[in-house]
Amino acid sequence: MLSPVNVSIESLNLMTLVPMLIPIVGALLIIVIDLFKSGQDKSLYVMLSLLVLGVDFVALMESAGIFKQNGTVMGVFDVMLIDGLAILSQFIIVGASLLFIPLALTHKRFHEFSYPEFFALFLFMIAGFQFMVATDNLILIFVGLETASLALYTLIAMHNRDKSFEAAVKYFTMGALAAGFYSFGSMVFYALTGSVEINQIATILSANNYADIGFVLVGVVFLLASLGFKLSMVPFHTWTPDVYEGSSAALAGYMSIVPKIAGFVVAMRLFEFLIHSGVVWLEVILYMGVVMTMTMANIWALVQTDVKRMLAYSSISHAGFVMAAILIGTTQSNSALFLYWILFSFTNLGSFSMLWISRQKNLPAHQQSDHSYDKFAGMVKTSPMAASIMGLFMLSLAGIPPFALFWGKIYMISSAVTGGYTVLALIMALNSAIAGYYYLKLIVYMFMKDPVVQNNGHVYVANATLPLKTIIGVAAMGTIFAFLAVNQLLELVTVFVYNSGY
Amino acid sequence: MLDHILSILIFFPALAAVLGFAVNKNSIRSYGVAVATIEFVLALWLWFAFDSSVSGMQFMEHIPLVKAFGINYIVGVDGISLFIIILAAFFTMIGIASLGETKDIKNMIVTLLFLQMTMVGVFAALDAIVFYLFWELSLVPMLYIIGAWGGPLRIYASVKFFLYTFTGSLVMLVGMLFMAYFYYQATGEWSFAILDWYRLILPETFQKWLFVAFFFGFAIKVPMFPFHTWLPYAHGQAPTIGSVILAAILLKMGTYAFIRFSLPLFPDASVYFMYPIAVLAIIMIIYTAMVAYAQKDIKQVVAYSSVSHMGVIILGIFALNVEGITGSIFLMIAHGVVSGALFFLVGVIYDRRHTKYMSEFGGLASVMPRYATIFGIMLMASVGLPLTINFVGEFLSLLGFYKQSHTLTLLAGMAIIVGAIYMLSAYKKMFFGVVTKDENRNLPDVNKRELVALIPLTIITIWLGIYPKVLLEPINTSVEAVVGLMHEKSLTQEAKSRIPNLTKDAEVITNSAENTVENSTENSAEEAH
Repeated sequence: MLSPVNVSIESLNLMTLVPMLIPIVGALLIIVIDLFKSGQDKSLYVMLSLLVLGVDFVALMESAGIFKQNGTVMGVFDVMLIDGLAILSQFIIVGASLLFIPLALTHKRFHEFSYPEFFALFLFMIAGFQFMVATDNLILIFVGLETASLALYTLIAMHNRDKSFEAAVKYFTMGALAAGFYSFGSMVFYALTGSVEINQIATILSANNYADIGFVLVGVVFLLASLGFKLSMVPFHTWTPDVYEGSSAALAGYMSIVPKIAGFVVAMRLFEFLIHSGVVWLEVILYMGVVMTMTMANIWALVQTDVKRMLAYSSISHAGFVMAAILIGTTQSNSALFLYWILFSFTNLGSFSMLWISRQKNLPAHQQSDHSYDKFAGMVKTSPMAASIMGLFMLSLAGIPPFALFWGKIYMISSAVTGGYTVLALIMALNSAIAGYYYLKLIVYMFMKDPVVQNNGHVYVANATLPLKTIIGVAAMGTIFAFLAVNQLLELVTVFVYNSGY
Repeated sequence: MLDHILSILIFFPALAAVLGFAVNKNSIRSYGVAVATIEFVLALWLWFAFDSSVSGMQFMEHIPLVKAFGINYIVGVDGISLFIIILAAFFTMIGIASLGETKDIKNMIVTLLFLQMTMVGVFAALDAIVFYLFWELSLVPMLYIIGAWGGPLRIYASVKFFLYTFTGSLVMLVGMLFMAYFYYQATGEWSFAILDWYRLILPETFQKWLFVAFFFGFAIKVPMFPFHTWLPYAHGQAPTIGSVILAAILLKMGTYAFIRFSLPLFPDASVYFMYPIAVLAIIMIIYTAMVAYAQKDIKQVVAYSSVSHMGVIILGIFALNVEGITGSIFLMIAHGVVSGALFFLVGVIYDRRHTKYMSEFGGLASVMPRYATIFGIMLMASVGLPLTINFVGEFLSLLGFYKQSHTLTLLAGMAIIVGAIYMLSAYKKMFFGVVTKDENRNLPDVNKRELVALIPLTIITIWLGIYPKVLLEPINTSVEAVVGLMHEKSLTQEAKSRIPNLTKDAEVITNSAENTVENSTENSAEEAH
């Protein structure tokens, strides 16, 4: 007979759930509002989402305060793990979402934003990502990942264009495969150790001195493949450009930041101990993945004719660059990862938003795709301000100082130098040089070519409204004046990462 | 105000450029001239306030930027950088003042002012990351100037210029990060401050690797053979103002950086690589001189001759003694003035005829006498006629290297004769003989606006050729400090013998140099492992 389970509420530490519950409650609220009075304007939902995310942000600040005082907090049967990584990544997730959601307030009407479900799904997705980063339980990671991914597939499909359906189906298929890989990999680790907690797995494996190295490798390969899909690492990246092309520019920008940081945190938790286990194989696999992702994506990006696809490949390359941090696996490199990603989210959201405000409702006859390079030819003559801002984002992505991404880049390369990966540091530097070319290509089109079609410049800001301009202004300011904030960011990030033991 | 004069010099043009967006298109030229003149006056004031008996840094400012990673905004100026900063301010001023009819003139002037910020910033920076920041940032305005106002191949030329330099500097950045890491290992804290790095004594193997990493960045910028291929394109396609600034100031960043970074940080590696680099420099001098002789386009002649003279500067730097380095710094100024003036002159004729082929001209001396005179003076200066500015620098550079190797110096000296041949033959083709083309019969002589640029340059060319002491003295003081530091820091016997020990030559040394040597001895106690 089962004995009654005695669990005190205090030991559950339900407070750890609050940041995830806030967006869930918000999502339910939006659905309920729609039940009572449907057909409301999108601005209502946008503002509600903003409020919910704002509250979420405050809750995160509170847990950050608790972390600073008491260190890592476990909760809910020790499934939840609120450490520095969880808090930092949640900050990025919620912060980027705060910047993303006002992008729905476009000048032109777009189909998906008229549904309240869009916003509800969006909030569910955020909760999913938050769960994913705030645990080291393989099962909860899986649940969070799938919640978020399923919501994201739908968000893409709601864009309601042929290419969007294609993108959603493609992403879904690939995602399903990745989920299969993930569960298989986790199953191997569970079979080996009898636990689904990453720290337990690490302890047991190192206790028996990696006796079943063959099985460990099988598990690692499957987990790496599944995370590779999510992080769009080469060779699992094939879906990325198509999906970015099919989804709206705003959502593509969002996808290049938020799901990836969640993936990075999981990868960091998982590979942290494996890299330090001294099994050379793992290091080699990861090393190859990192270098291939950086280099191949850069080379593909060179030949793109569409700016959005170029940015898609560029974000793959950036992801590869950042994966190097996990390979290096020192406190400095892990801090560099977060610093890089915070700075990257400003710049990348900014550049995708610039594409978003230039989005036309229908494709003009002379253009092959929504954001072909030709479209931007001679932009400086017709709308100099927009061209300058776009140029700024491109320079930042290329890593020209003193713009935001440069600081992330030097800290990352420095961590490679410090970690003893000299060749990797050189590869990273040279890849930045290759990447310079395709960012420059857009600048060349904007500043040095003559307009192909005589337009009045309105096309570049066709979608702009005050909220969108504000978002772009915030991103541009963040990009230019990053050097003022780098020191504080770096100190904060380092403290959080260091105190979580990474 | 004098305490912050360097920051003012750096950021005043940038601020003015931002405000310049609001100035009406018809008044932007006056605005640009006014701003650049104020900047030049400030630079002269800096010279006036500069104490030329002090060898170390003056007017230093120190603001922490990224404390956790040891990045600080540190600027300062010594005899080595002072005159290049003044030169940068001067060239921006006369460049804007003599700017011909240009489309989008507002964008051009705003871009030039931004460029000025980056130029002054590079030469004033005393923190590697701040240096790198301005170094990279200077590419962007130049990219725009070449790409937007250049000739038919402008996009290819500008992108090539950008990517070439960008790649080199990224390798250099890795070198800088290594340097900071070694400093961290030695002292336990991060620092990118150059003066901190000077105190670090590295083992010879590390020095060699780091020297190579820095070399890539600098050599591409100079540009040294075989990395010079971007330069003819950039010069060929750039508008006149772009070529002038590129030749006069931007190329000096590379040679300046050799003196600021490579020599004092890696004295042993500098000695180790002295001969290979000297050979490269001599190939650069002779080969590009020959290429210049084969050109049909007068601008290409000037471009290749400019590369050829940069070779002499490199040779002077790697003489690793006071004469050579002082001479090369003086030659940087001289080369800036002379090749800047030559590019101006080419621009003058291009504005009139829209061609740069020498075969299109001939007999211009009778049509444009004033133009021919100024061109003649500048050409003589470029050839290195005594009593012109170039002579002093070339003489000292070669004298310095003569102490290291007689044969190589002789070869380099031969190249100067080749220089005389191609320059004089170009002059003959363009200016002497009878006027063959009808278009050339009624060409107007240089006008007032062009004279604004050309007359001051001519005066400087002759003045400093006759009386170079005003510049040489402060340069010499700072160079002695650098050489003294190098001698103290060097580890190998060969380096000790190659780099002269200044404390022995009692008549050469000044008090300030002594101080620096003492300082560096103290500091070398905390040497790295």
